[in-house]
Amino acid sequence: MSFLPLLLYLAAAAAYAVHFTTRTRTSGRAATTTLVGAAMAHTFVIGMRTVQVGSVPFTGSTGAISAFVWLLALAYLYTEMTTDERAMGVFIAPLLAVMQLIPSLDTRVVQRPAVLHSPLFGVHVSSLLFAYASFALACVIGITYVLLFKEIKAKHLGVFYARLPSLEVLDAMNLRAVTIGWVFLTLGVIVGAVWASQEEIRTAVDPRLRAMSLFDPKIFIALICWLVYSFELAARRALGWRGRRAAWLSGIGFAIVLLNLVPVSYFLTRSHNF
Amino acid sequence: MTHLVLVGVSHHTAPVDLRERVDFSRRGLPAALTALSERPDIGEAVVLSTCNRAELYVTCADPLQGARALGAFICAYHELPPALVQPHVYEMVDEAAARHLFRVAAGLDSLVVGEPQILGQVKDAYSEAAERHFTGGSLNRLFHTAFTVGKRVRSETGLGEGAVSVSYAAVSLARKIFGSLKELTVLVIGAGEMGELTAKHLQAQQVRRIFVASRTAAHAELLANQVGGIVIAWQDFPNVLRSSDIVITATGSQDPILSRAHVEAAARARRHPLFLIDIAVPRDVEASAGDLEQVFLYNVDDLQTIVNENLARRAAEVSRAEGIVADEVRHFVAWWRSREVIPTMVALRKRFESIRRSELERLEPKIANLTPDARARVDEITRLIVEKLLLTPTEQLKSVADQETAAAYSDALSRLFSLAPPESVDEERSRVAVPAGKPPKRPVEP
Repeated sequence: MSFLPLLLYLAAAAAYAVHFTTRTRTSGRAATTTLVGAAMAHTFVIGMRTVQVGSVPFTGSTGAISAFVWLLALAYLYTEMTTDERAMGVFIAPLLAVMQLIPSLDTRVVQRPAVLHSPLFGVHVSSLLFAYASFALACVIGITYVLLFKEIKAKHLGVFYARLPSLEVLDAMNLRAVTIGWVFLTLGVIVGAVWASQEEIRTAVDPRLRAMSLFDPKIFIALICWLVYSFELAARRALGWRGRRAAWLSGIGFAIVLLNLVPVSYFLTRSHNF
Repeated sequence: MTHLVLVGVSHHTAPVDLRERVDFSRRGLPAALTALSERPDIGEAVVLSTCNRAELYVTCADPLQGARALGAFICAYHELPPALVQPHVYEMVDEAAARHLFRVAAGLDSLVVGEPQILGQVKDAYSEAAERHFTGGSLNRLFHTAFTVGKRVRSETGLGEGAVSVSYAAVSLARKIFGSLKELTVLVIGAGEMGELTAKHLQAQQVRRIFVASRTAAHAELLANQVGGIVIAWQDFPNVLRSSDIVITATGSQDPILSRAHVEAAARARRHPLFLIDIAVPRDVEASAGDLEQVFLYNVDDLQTIVNENLARRAAEVSRAEGIVADEVRHFVAWWRSREVIPTMVALRKRFESIRRSELERLEPKIANLTPDARARVDEITRLIVEKLLLTPTEQLKSVADQETAAAYSDALSRLFSLAPPESVDEERSRVAVPAGKPPKRPVEP
């Protein structure tokens, strides 16, 4: 059962690749339908887990990745439906499939520790995951911006010229995705800090809670992330860093997000490994 | 049996002066349609008249006679001697006529292959005729299939993709950089013909304003009038450059009029991209200006290269488009053929039904004492037997691919079951053949 979303995400990746090459309306609809199916199957799996565990299963690194994939799929589908642009799917769907590999292989049932039962914790995790999904979209938009930019600059109009929206539209989409992501990242970090500074957390004996500090890799890298995105937004206003520069920054930002979401969560952090 | 006949002239067969003289839209299509339908041998009719073609699509009983009548009609209607027109006229019947219309709708028969306007023109020609009830089941189906072909070719192939003129290539690049052009400011420097054409295309995209600068004030005035622009003094253009998004340079100057430093200063003062279109030969903009971030510089050679690439790409898509046409022709012809056997099918069905009824009537005394329920069941069972008996022959008959076999089958069935001659079921046929919701053809006025 837990493999179904993965298979459907893989199918969606293939369907988006077919659509990207053939550009027929039917293949486009097929791709969207497959991805909607994948997201629904994923919703079902998460729902089953919720019933099984008794709480929404985004605790722990694996649950968080699964929730990230789910949110990214929904955010992408929302973007596709509001802009009627499908070309981005060829980048998003493989990312979904690769990330979904982890929750498909790691199906351990994690009980949520009592200490995490606070609503603040829920806000902390969900806003960060939503921020990460926005950053993933911004990164893909940035990649497509750079590809289109290169084609126009090189005066060789090819694959992307025929398939992507205009540079200014991509830039505006990038700005929107980064802004939304930044707001939720800020909210998530602040709520996390408030939660961690509560009396019972600070005095708890759990070594993970004692490790909640600025120098824990997970927290430290999240702050670097925040700095990168803050810089992207500030530089856009103050220095006119838009277009290609903004696109690069959202790429770098998301690389750091991925780093934090996968290797750091599993191997480095001492505070966030629930 | 009804046939589909097409007679026409196009840019492939006739020079422009003749095409102008056979233009049906000059006196209005309704007049031409009315005149055409007054001919006794013509059934349904559609007149397609564009600057590249004048074509008549009709249904008639005898294709040879119909084609001859149409050729005569073209000459008579435009008061031209037949000797002048006849050598340029082509005639096509049934499958060939359908294929021709589908190729026209797809843009495959156009002067610039893949041009998009023709589909709209075919639609207009059809609705002119359909609104006035000059079309019926046959031409309705034919033209709706043609629209499908046009749409499929547009969405499934790249036949209509990519600009095929330098000025339009510039506009499509601008759209790829800026998206909507509505809020943009355009600056035209120099008053060449190419610059004017590009500015006109941009004007059609509803740009916010167009500034025009030229060393000769009179030229600037003239161009500004043409494109709804605002004239600025020649020495002011570096200042206006800052607030412009698209700059077209087309002066006859021997040296560049926009240096890299000019462009850099303008680009720094603005946040949005700057698109420079240098149409002048020799060039007006220093080439290295194109290296600046957020500055896109295209000269006339770059644009010409894009146009050539697009033309090559279109040529490569022709075979895919032809495939779609062949596909739809096959479907249409199958329908057209199946339509021919409909009278026989209807007659056969009537015959079976009448046998069933007469047998039921004959048995009436014996089944009179059955309950209404049981009688209904008897009726149902006999009806189902007839249906089942007819199912296979109907399918077989409809799937016959060539006309001769279909005619032979129809004939055999008529003889074997001594069916009524087709004429008497003709009305029945047209009722069956016209798709539901389409108005029946208006009777031809005497």
